[in-house]
Amino acid sequence: MPQIEVHQLSRIFKVPERESSFKAALASLFNRRYREVRAVDDISFSIEQGEIVGFLGPNGAGKTTTLKMLAGLLHPTSGTASVLGYTPWRREADYLSRISMVMGQRSQLLWDLPAMDSFRVQLAVYRVDKNSGRDTLDEMIAMLDIGDVLRKQVRTLSLGERMKCEICLSLLHRPAVLFLDEPTLGLDVTMQGRIREFVAEYNHRHGATIILTSHYMADVTALCKRIVVIDHGKILFDGPLADLSARLAPFKVISIDLETSPDGYNFDRIGEVCARKDQKVSIRVPRERAAALAGRLLAELPVRDVTVEDPPIEDVIKMVFARGMEQTP
Amino acid sequence: MTVLRVILSAMPAYLRASMQGMFQYRGELILWAIWGVVYPTVAMVAWQAAARDPIEGNTIKGYGAQEFATYFLLTMVIGHLCTAWDMFEIGYLIQSGKMSTKLLRPILPIWESISDNLAYKVLTLVILLPLWLLIALWARPRFDVSGMQALLGVMAIGLGAALNYIFNYALAMLAFWITRTDGLGQLWFGMSLFFGGRLAPVTIMPSPMQPLISMMPFKWIIWFPSAALMGQLSEREILIGLGCQLAWLAAGLLLFRILWRAGVKRFTAVGI
Repeated sequence: MPQIEVHQLSRIFKVPERESSFKAALASLFNRRYREVRAVDDISFSIEQGEIVGFLGPNGAGKTTTLKMLAGLLHPTSGTASVLGYTPWRREADYLSRISMVMGQRSQLLWDLPAMDSFRVQLAVYRVDKNSGRDTLDEMIAMLDIGDVLRKQVRTLSLGERMKCEICLSLLHRPAVLFLDEPTLGLDVTMQGRIREFVAEYNHRHGATIILTSHYMADVTALCKRIVVIDHGKILFDGPLADLSARLAPFKVISIDLETSPDGYNFDRIGEVCARKDQKVSIRVPRERAAALAGRLLAELPVRDVTVEDPPIEDVIKMVFARGMEQTP
Repeated sequence: MTVLRVILSAMPAYLRASMQGMFQYRGELILWAIWGVVYPTVAMVAWQAAARDPIEGNTIKGYGAQEFATYFLLTMVIGHLCTAWDMFEIGYLIQSGKMSTKLLRPILPIWESISDNLAYKVLTLVILLPLWLLIALWARPRFDVSGMQALLGVMAIGLGAALNYIFNYALAMLAFWITRTDGLGQLWFGMSLFFGGRLAPVTIMPSPMQPLISMMPFKWIIWFPSAALMGQLSEREILIGLGCQLAWLAAGLLLFRILWRAGVKRFTAVGI
């Protein structure tokens, strides 16, 4: 049975808007204009226990709004959702004590105190018994390598140190479901990698179900076997990462390394050249003709090496967002 | 039961953290505490001066200089114990998005606010007790109460503090609709100055105002406990007053429950 089930979930925001002038500000006192923004538009999906699912999408796509609804922070405009058998926005204490959410841009730590004090409060609020609390804390401190920063005031921590402490805080009660909203935002590459390793390790050890939103493809490709691509509030793709290119990108990339320069050869007859340097050429070709066109290149040119691959995942995502849903196959 | 267990487990930790947090801002803490002494002292001096006017027979509606000293010393103490600032705080939490993080916990945010409130009141006693003592030595108040009246009076202080707190917090919930409630906080304080007895005992306010004063909760916060501890009310009157405080407290809790539920439903956090 799925741990998370979402059915036709929608969220519409009413956003006030006006022109940027004093006159417009004055007029808005008497006649306020609103625009409806469909942040999440009729989405449905389900997630099994222990899955790590990546939500990918540009700014304003509806990723965070979806997570907030599942964490009980937002009421939907319509639709249903069930997480661990609870309706999230009923905000039952039992439900809240079994989930956690890390928001990259919002701190849950006590700003003026050392992180250790926040951890103590968290253990008390979630009624974690002393022994298991100490064990969990020791485990998290070791896994996240934060032993040196526990006594520093949170306000003096670097962004990376703080984010590791935020994640530690969110996991002290061993939540069964974890919502990670941009946990690596603003972190350097090394720190991003550490956070990813930790999330994977936590999932492996405790079988937690995790939804991760991120701008960074590397987060998603490193952690998630399954991704949900969301844009303008709608799900464009939901499935294994490996299927994304096949489903959304109707082309492959043939890369050839030639023994001599291919001067005069008309690559446009084969496909769209996407990269060319010295004797190396990459050509984008229709997926169903890739094998035949690769054979033609081998027959017509002095090829030293050839590869036929799916396009890079970043390119597929960029293409999907650029084309919009209507043109997506 | 689970909710109660969570509260009992969380409150000591919240209180410790609140106190530690306040140690970081001890300078501001001292200034706020001193402000709580300054304005009752000013009111005390002004009313004592007015009462010493021989034309009026050295009293104003039964209050002489010593009665005013006793009354304002009591309002000083009770005013401190009744302090609440959530109407200034909740708007900030909502506007900054910090409310989201508090809503993720399996405990209502009000408990964290209560711990902050209690921590402030306890910590500032270190400064306030000597100050109150000095002012008492100078003003020479007189307490003419029986043991039972004193006991009931202390209960009235506790209920008054709870009453002021719950109304403050409940009205602060309006920030879910209007985002900033600082103005409302000022209005509440102004009303309690005038109708609650902070500026003058409510019994010396003009007669046409008395029905208005009776219809509002303010006099049960400051004036009633003060009058009880001055021996101005019989035991029976204090018991009736305690009943009125309980009724207002129940109304405040109901208001909080309604506004909290509606407010959280409306809450859309920050951004989309």
